[in-house]
Amino acid sequence: MESVNLRKIYRNKESVEALKGVSISVRKGELFSLLGPNGAGKTTFLRIISTQLLPTTGEAYVSGYDVLKQPDQVRKHIAIVPQDVATYGNFTPWEYSYYFAVLRGMSRHEAREYAGKALKAVELWNLRNRTCSTLSGGEKKRAIIASALASNADIFMLDEPTSGLDAVARRSVWAILREMVEQGRTILLTTHIMEEAEMVSDRLAIISKGKLIAEGTPEQIKRLAKERFRVVVEGSLSSLGITVNNNRVTKFGSRWIIYLKDEDEALEIVRTALRKGLKAETAPITLEDVFVKLVEGEAE
Amino acid sequence: MNAKIVRDVLIIAMMRSIPDLKRQPLFLTLVGLISALPLFFIMMFGGQLSNGLIGAMVATTGFIGLMAAIQDIAGDRYLKIREIIVAMPVHPISYAMGIALAPLIISSPGLVIFAALAIWLGVLTFFPLLWSFIILILCWATLSSLGFLISTYLQRASIYTLNTLSNLLGIALVFLPPVYYPEEMLGSFSWAALLFPTSNAAGLIRIYAGLLDADVLMLFARWSILVTTMIACSIATLVKAKWRES
Repeated sequence: MESVNLRKIYRNKESVEALKGVSISVRKGELFSLLGPNGAGKTTFLRIISTQLLPTTGEAYVSGYDVLKQPDQVRKHIAIVPQDVATYGNFTPWEYSYYFAVLRGMSRHEAREYAGKALKAVELWNLRNRTCSTLSGGEKKRAIIASALASNADIFMLDEPTSGLDAVARRSVWAILREMVEQGRTILLTTHIMEEAEMVSDRLAIISKGKLIAEGTPEQIKRLAKERFRVVVEGSLSSLGITVNNNRVTKFGSRWIIYLKDEDEALEIVRTALRKGLKAETAPITLEDVFVKLVEGEAE
Repeated sequence: MNAKIVRDVLIIAMMRSIPDLKRQPLFLTLVGLISALPLFFIMMFGGQLSNGLIGAMVATTGFIGLMAAIQDIAGDRYLKIREIIVAMPVHPISYAMGIALAPLIISSPGLVIFAALAIWLGVLTFFPLLWSFIILILCWATLSSLGFLISTYLQRASIYTLNTLSNLLGIALVFLPPVYYPEEMLGSFSWAALLFPTSNAAGLIRIYAGLLDADVLMLFARWSILVTTMIACSIATLVKAKWRES
């Protein structure tokens, strides 16, 4: 799956450039996340690559087929889960998986087989005959993911599949996604949840204001920041008697985050803080820290 | 039209009708009642039940076809189900026709009841009933295409606006023109019945039922208008039925 210099300008009352020349290459059998703040252009990118929206300029290919010129071929290879997709209340998870599989051209026998497998994979088999209106948010989302899984497509495109789910439901979706990758499926995922991107992605790209600003494995992305460690201190920094001018500091009320290159320096700050009776802890820098730095840098 | 397109029409129609048929008996009752309600007032005020029954048959197919085409397509867009289907190897014509066919399946019990009543009361016999079904199919195809076009043109309208619009159009096309009542009641404006596919269809059925006098020329004119409107709306739907947004 590849995009070359994709641009999209929405021409309404005023023109909005949602994508400003995005080139991304997703390898077969990997889970690639597109990470970005709200309005970054993630959904626009996904809608173009899944043949729903025409780009203003640029090219995109899925399984070797041109998204612009061969959408019918592309559609045979993909299955999507749109952002904030809802369910028909009177449908059962079984009906979702079965009908969508038949609609993709499977025989009834095949559709029954794949629908069954998909519902077992997302652990909805026991609830397969309950109407969606009686399911929880997480179960509904899993019903939709099952309908995509039942398609037996090679490539899955999921637009913020865990938005609105609680931590337990989110983790069960992550487990499903990793299982799909282990079965050889390629997944393109959009998310603004950093933990999700870090936990499930083989590689990821950060997109902001329609521009690609970083691409690589989560570890490679984290190395883009100069600092390696963060110290969280609760209380007044001045009481510690430390100089933070050379470090990056973020303040949330009485809580401070200090970014540092050196682990020993981080540990020293923690020790000093604890001696002064303050709460403090250190940890390696997170993807979210790097993401914020990159996005703010882009904004600047 | 290839076999895959036809197969997909039937699958979408089943998908959109069977769960309702299985789980929404109240909805089915409502569908029948909406069309049957004017019959109650026709009987109360001493009107002709024969004309009312024909109106109920037209309303059952036409009104439901129009409303469903607008509301179901808007609903799918709102729920984002449409996006899932767009990214499938499904032709947009299959989607449009499947969505239109589903309410016909849902309304078929009501239609059968009205047709049975019409036969029982001697309003229609076998051959006029056969013609009636052809006319009803044309009326359904016209109004469904019209509904599809409206929902396509008003892509940015909210689901609430589209639902209200579909109800208003239903009233404008089914309850105002001479669908439930004979067009002679319009006096010198009876020609207006030809302008609406619903009242034109009702008029044609009345001609076959012997309730309305018409010469061969008028019969030809009515058929021509009904078929031409259906073809025009269908062509416009074919042209506008594009999956991908630009």
